[in-house]
This record gives sequence, structure tokens and C-alpha cells, in this order.
Amino acid sequence: MQENDAGELSRRELLRMIGLTAGSAAMYQAMSAMGFAAESPYRKPIELQGAPKGASVLILGAGIAGMTAAYELRNAGYQVQVLEYNNRSGGRNWSLRGGDRYTELGGATQECQFDKDLYVNPGPWRIPYHHRGILSYARRLGVPLEAFVQVNYNAYLHSSRAFGGKPQRYREIKADYQGHVAELLAKATRQNALDASVSKEDREKLLESLREWGALDKSFAYVASDAGSDRRGYKKEPGGGLTARPIPSEPIGLTDILSSDLWQGIPRGDTFDMQTALLQPVGGMGRIGEAFGRELGSLIRYNAKVIDIRQDQKGVTVTYEDSHSPGTKMNARADWCLCTIPLPILAQIPMNVGPAMAAAISAVPYAAAVKVGLQFKRRFWEEDDHIYGGITYTDLPITNIGYPSTGYHSSGKGVLLGAYIWGRNAMEFTAMAPQERVQKVVDYGSQIHPQYHREFENGIAVAWHRSPFTMGCFGMWSADARAKHYDDLCQIDQRIALAGEHASFIGGWQEGAVTSALDAIGRLHQRAVAQGERA
Amino acid sequence: MRLPIDRLPLRWLAAVLLSTALGSGASADVPSFTSAGDRSVGGAEIYSHICQGCHMPGAQGAIGAGHYPKLAGNPALVSWQYVALTVLHGRKGMPAFGLPKGEVVDFLAVQLSDAEVADVVNYVRSNFGNHYKGSITAKQVAALPHPGAAAGSDSIPDHR
Repeated sequence: MQENDAGELSRRELLRMIGLTAGSAAMYQAMSAMGFAAESPYRKPIELQGAPKGASVLILGAGIAGMTAAYELRNAGYQVQVLEYNNRSGGRNWSLRGGDRYTELGGATQECQFDKDLYVNPGPWRIPYHHRGILSYARRLGVPLEAFVQVNYNAYLHSSRAFGGKPQRYREIKADYQGHVAELLAKATRQNALDASVSKEDREKLLESLREWGALDKSFAYVASDAGSDRRGYKKEPGGGLTARPIPSEPIGLTDILSSDLWQGIPRGDTFDMQTALLQPVGGMGRIGEAFGRELGSLIRYNAKVIDIRQDQKGVTVTYEDSHSPGTKMNARADWCLCTIPLPILAQIPMNVGPAMAAAISAVPYAAAVKVGLQFKRRFWEEDDHIYGGITYTDLPITNIGYPSTGYHSSGKGVLLGAYIWGRNAMEFTAMAPQERVQKVVDYGSQIHPQYHREFENGIAVAWHRSPFTMGCFGMWSADARAKHYDDLCQIDQRIALAGEHASFIGGWQEGAVTSALDAIGRLHQRAVAQGERA
Repeated sequence: MRLPIDRLPLRWLAAVLLSTALGSGASADVPSFTSAGDRSVGGAEIYSHICQGCHMPGAQGAIGAGHYPKLAGNPALVSWQYVALTVLHGRKGMPAFGLPKGEVVDFLAVQLSDAEVADVVNYVRSNFGNHYKGSITAKQVAALPHPGAAAGSDSIPDHR
């Protein structure tokens, strides 16, 4: 341990020295080489120095990518204008709250009937701690954060085909799976089955660790015990006074665990993007987009539908119409253009870029996804089921139920994320009318929480392929398309650069939008500086 | 950073879909197409459960920042090959529905068989006020180029 610590320190010291002498780019390279920086490349605020006097950038889209770019370019001294299709800032960074109206493609309008302070995030709803870029903007914009509970040991894993359709507590499935596997591995070890792979010295350590990891008894068996119940929960929990004595619970058998397939839900919180800690803005994810919008103020022109993008030797002209008065064409012009319009829409807008970028824009289909927020008369998941935040995973089409990581024990109503639907199920739900989606989600969810039908009040459903401003949830790169087109998508085409989660390797996450925007404006800035001041 | 797709726990979902498969008498509005398993579904059902999500009831299309093409009275549908290739390969933001069955099951894509592609192509070309002649067969669809397995996703973010 001591040696390791010393090693860490000297490595850190080395990195510090590289950073001091050679700048942050070299330091980042060095860190990558040492395997430190496999996650978001974001390190610190971008520094764009020496913007040519009077240089201008037109930004298309006031989502996270567009507003990140607008914020930094404005601060660097560029003249910035942003055109946004919606009447609000944020794009997919968005919270639906009571009183909000949402009209989807096809014309169906939903009015959100949630109580005050209740919301659902139709788009992103959690921020991994290592998404340093989006976190940095939340900090700089003064958006307070709170913990987002991803893993809740008391939430459910549910299969409609196992345990009679009765949901199981995560802690029980995890403890029992782990206990049985530990027992088997201990047995194999003690029967010398692993001698070829485990040295004599390691053998004792391995056994000891298996006992601890799996909560095994002294003969390496996973049985009803205090140790096991300390993981999976008790039949009767310990208490005080005369009712104090705990009664251990009985583990579920290995065969039942395996055949239930519920083990598939165990490692969800182990993936890099889902590891504790995750964060959320207080009051809804949309608080970031709203704060960006306030910060940028009149730089953003809302209700602007882009219909043509044309570049020439000296700049870029974008033609748009006010979505309230179609047919009235207006022009905006700047030296450079950063376009963050989602690809399914951009692919339909006439734009004179080269064939490589044009082909890239048309190469990326968008994921289907549907989110449904449900308001209930009371927070029965807390009151009855003792679930405070976290996620229940199910094999039903609703995929999961997300419990709010905020407002615990508040009296009155509560809102659940009733469904986060993917793939083919999402396509089918998209094809339904909004109220039908909500009704189906209530029906499915009642298989897990029987309180649903009695407590349900109202709901709102967002199907991303019906979203007028994205026509899909996020870019789904195929391996083929990535190899053929990704660089062409990100390469600046004369005076036009693209940004957004679609121009990143962190697809579908806000961090992809932030890092792609910073990467693109860094390169645009270099070009602008190289061209020098305009006459 | 991403789990390889074959390690994503999607078999779970596929299994559920099968488990909720409907009997033939079930109402058409229940999510059923994807849970149909080996049961063959017709063009009308494919349209109303999948295509309609974007192309809308009545194939009227929709307009927002971009648009979904209106298929009703659309002259481009005169070419069945154009329609079938679009369904198989996708177009711009539209996903491919002709990915090879089985091989990319974890992609969560809808994979239509050649017969299903033929059915839905025939359906849209002969409904919504369209009266294009020449019903096509699975064999004719099979003769068209299909997308390869590599067209599956390399990096679906595991947001579930």
C-alpha cells in the first residue's frame, strides 16, 4: 500500500510538471498514455484567445452543444447569434412541469397536469460524476445539484416469467446470486479443481475472500444465516426491546435465481456511466438549459426554423422562418457557422457542404425511445414499499420505473418515471396516441406496484421520434457508419462545423454534446485566428 | 467505455416480448408486433404498429423542424423497388428494417422478413389513396440488396 501511494504521488507530480512546462494538451496526452483519461476528455474551461476583431459565429440550435459553444465564443469576444426552433432553450435538456404544453409531430397536444414542483425529464435525467464538462457548466451557471440514486437495493428486479410475476428486491437477488456463486467457487477450490490456476498461497486468500464476498458460513456454505441476512435482509428485522430478536431469511435457490434471468439486472450500476455517484440538477434536468438560456439572453432567436444553409468565400448565410408565421423568410449571416441540428432534420435542410459531410449527415439513424411520467395521489413507493429513489428494472415493455431522487416524504402527490422504453417497443409505443401510451404504462406498471390503478392521476408521454425538434432520441452509429463517416461529420467543411452528441463517442449523453462543441469551436477558432482580422 | 453489445442484457427484453405474445384474438392496440415471435404479421399490422410512429395514421406524414414524408398520394411510391429498399436499408434518419434476423437481435431493431417487407410495401402502395399496381412477393424482396450485420450499432449507450 505504502509503495502504491508513493507511486501515485510521483506519477501525479510528474503529470503536474508536464502540465507546467508543456501545457494542458501535452499533459492530457501524457495522461492518456498512462491510461488515466479514458473517460470524458473534459479537463478545464476552454481558453480561446485572440479572437479576430469583429469575427462572428452563427450557431444553429440552442441545446447543450449550441449553448456551450455560444457561451464560450461570446466570452472569447466573437459576435454570436443562436437560432433555435423551439420557444425555449435546452433542446433535449428538458423538464416537463405542471402547466407545460407539448405538441408532438402529428399534432397531438398534451398538457402536463403535475402538481407544483413535480416534473419528468423526457430526455437526460442523470449525470455521471465523470461527465466533467456538463458538470462544469452546471457549476458555472449556478445550477445546484443533488444525488441521483441509480442503484437502490430495495428497488425491484422483475420478470413477468419468474416468481409468479412477483417482483424481487434487488438486494435479495444480488446477495443470493453472489452467495451461491461464492459457494460453488469455494467448493471447486477446496476440491482442488482450480489448482492449475490458483497457487497454494492464493488458495487460502481466495477462500477467505469468497466467504466474505458471498456471506458464506464457516464451512463455506451459503445458507440462511445472520451473515446472509445482513446482505439480503431478514425474515424479521432486528429491533429493540422484547421484539428485538432478528430471524434470518431463507435464500432463494440457485436454480430459481438462474432460471429467472433476474441476475441480468445485477451489474447495471457497475457500468462506468452508471456508477455512484450520479447527479441531477435540483428541480429537473431542464434547469441547465434554462440557466444557459438566461445567460445568453437575447443572443438566442427562438421559434426560428432553419430552411437553408449556404456558405460562400466570406461567410455563411442561413435562411429561417418564424415558426409562427411560416413563409416569412429571414436571413442571418456570420463568418462561421456551428450547426448542432440533429441529423435527421439536418439531412433534409439544403446546405452546400461537400459530399463527404453530406454523406455522413445521412448515415446515422436515430434511436427510438419513449419516456412516460406518471403522477400519483401519494408517494406509495416510499410509504408502502420503502423505495427512496433508484430504479426498478423489468422485462415488461416499460423497461424500468424510476423513483424520484428528491422530495422524499413530501406529503401530497408524487411523479414517477413510469417507463423508459427502447427499440422495437419504443416504436410501437410511438405509433400510439399519447393517452394510450400512458394507459398502457399504467397497466404494465401495476404488475409491479398494485397501487397504480388506485393512486394514478395523470401522465405525459414523450415519444422521441415524434419530437418536432429532433425526430429521434439520439444518433445510433453502426460500426460501419462510424468507420466510414464519423471523421467526415466532425471535419470542418470550409466555414461550417457540426456539433452535438451525434458528433461524439459519448452518444446520447450531454457530455457528448459538450465535448463535441468544445472540440469544434477550438478548431473553428484556430481557423478564424489563422485568417486574421477581417477587412 | 461501452459494453460490447453482446454483453448487454437485452436477451431479457427479447424474452419478455415473446412471453407477452398475444393470442390471435387479442386487440390490435396492444404492443404485439414485436412480441409476435414467429407468428407472421400482415402489412396493415406492421404499418399501424411501426411505420405509423413517424409516417402517422393515414400515412399523412408530419412537419416540424424537419418532416416525415406523407405516403398518402406520394408519387415516389410508384417504384416498389424504391419503397422496398427504403424499408430494408432505411434512409437518412430512418432506421433499416432489413437487418439480418437473429444475428443482430441485441440491436433492439425491428427486423422484418422479406415476406413482411413485401406485405408492408404492398400495403402502403395500395392504401391511403394509393393505387399502385403490381403486388410484390418475398422472392422479389429477397433479390434486392440487404444490409449486412455490420450495420448494427457499435455503441448503443446503455441508458436503460
